[in-house]
Amino acid sequence: MPFADFQQYIPFLIPVVIIQLILMIAALVDLLRREKTRGPKWLWALIIVLVNYIGPIIYFVAGRQDA
Amino acid sequence: MNFFIVLRKELMEQWRTKRLLVILAVMAIFGLISPLLAKLTPDLLKSIPDMPAGLADLIPEPTLTDAVLQYVKNLEQFGILLALLMSMGSVAQEKERGTAAMMLTHPLSRAAFLLAKFAALAVTFTLSLTVAALACWYYTLLLFEALPWDSFLALNGLMLVGFFVYIAATILCSTLVRSQGAAAGLAFGALVLIAGIGSLPRIGTYFPGQLFNWGVGLALGAADPAWPALWVSLGLIVTFLGIAWLVFRRQEL
Repeated sequence: MPFADFQQYIPFLIPVVIIQLILMIAALVDLLRREKTRGPKWLWALIIVLVNYIGPIIYFVAGRQDA
Repeated sequence: MNFFIVLRKELMEQWRTKRLLVILAVMAIFGLISPLLAKLTPDLLKSIPDMPAGLADLIPEPTLTDAVLQYVKNLEQFGILLALLMSMGSVAQEKERGTAAMMLTHPLSRAAFLLAKFAALAVTFTLSLTVAALACWYYTLLLFEALPWDSFLALNGLMLVGFFVYIAATILCSTLVRSQGAAAGLAFGALVLIAGIGSLPRIGTYFPGQLFNWGVGLALGAADPAWPALWVSLGLIVTFLGIAWLVFRRQEL
C-alpha cells in the first residue's frame, strides 16, 4: 500500500497521541514536585520525555520514592 | 470508620498516586490501537519491499475477527500486568510505611481494610476497561463494522472477572510479605502458576484464562461457554481474599 493510503489512517492516531501527551505531562509534573526519586532526577526526565509512552509508566511504577 | 469511608480514601489514593491515570491510559490506548493494528497489519506486511508476488496474495484481508482478537490479546496481557503492578503495594506498602498500623488504630476491621483495597482496584479497572471497550467498539465500527454490543459487553465482563482474579491474588501476596518487591515476585510466581495450569489441556478449561477465550467466542457469535471457568474464577477471588484476611487478622503490624 503506498504512503498516501496510510495517510487516511493518521487521524485515528490523534487520540493516542493526546493520551501519550497527558501521561508525559502528568509524569513531569509529578517529577518536578517530588523531592526524592529512585536515581537521578534528570535521568527520569529524559526517560519520561524520550521513551514514548512507556517512559512515563516506568516512572510511575518504579521511579517514585516516598519522601 | 466503616467500609465506605476507607473505600473513598482508597479511591482518592488511586487518583493521587496516578494509578488510575496509568491504568486508564494503558487500557484506552490498547482499545484504540487494537482495531487499527488489525486493519493495518496486512497492508504493512504487503508493503515489505521484494515480497514475492504470490506471498502477498496469501495475506488475508483483515476482518472483524482480527480486531477482536487483537483487542483481547493486548488487554489480557497488559491488564494482567497492570493488575500485578498496581496491586503489589496495596498492603505491603502500608506495612512498610507503617500507615497500616495507623489506619487500624481507628475502629476499622481488618476485613473492611482489605475489602476496600480490592474494591478500589476493582472500580479503577472497571472504569478503565469501560473506556477501552468504548474506544475499541467505536474504532471497530469506523474501520470494520459494528460489533454486536451485547456480546461485546459480555466479553468485557468476562475479561474483568479475569483481572479481578489476578488483583485478588496479588493482594494476597501483598499481605503475606512485608515489602512491595517481595510481593511483586510472589505475585509473578502466582501469575505464572495460574497461567501455566490454565494452559494444560483438560484442567485449563476450569481456569481464568478460559474466560478470555469464551469472551472472544461470544463477541464473534461462536460461543463456547465456559461456565466452570467463571465459577472457579469467582471462587478463586473469594478464596484469595479469604486467605489474605485470615493471615492479615493475625499479623503484627
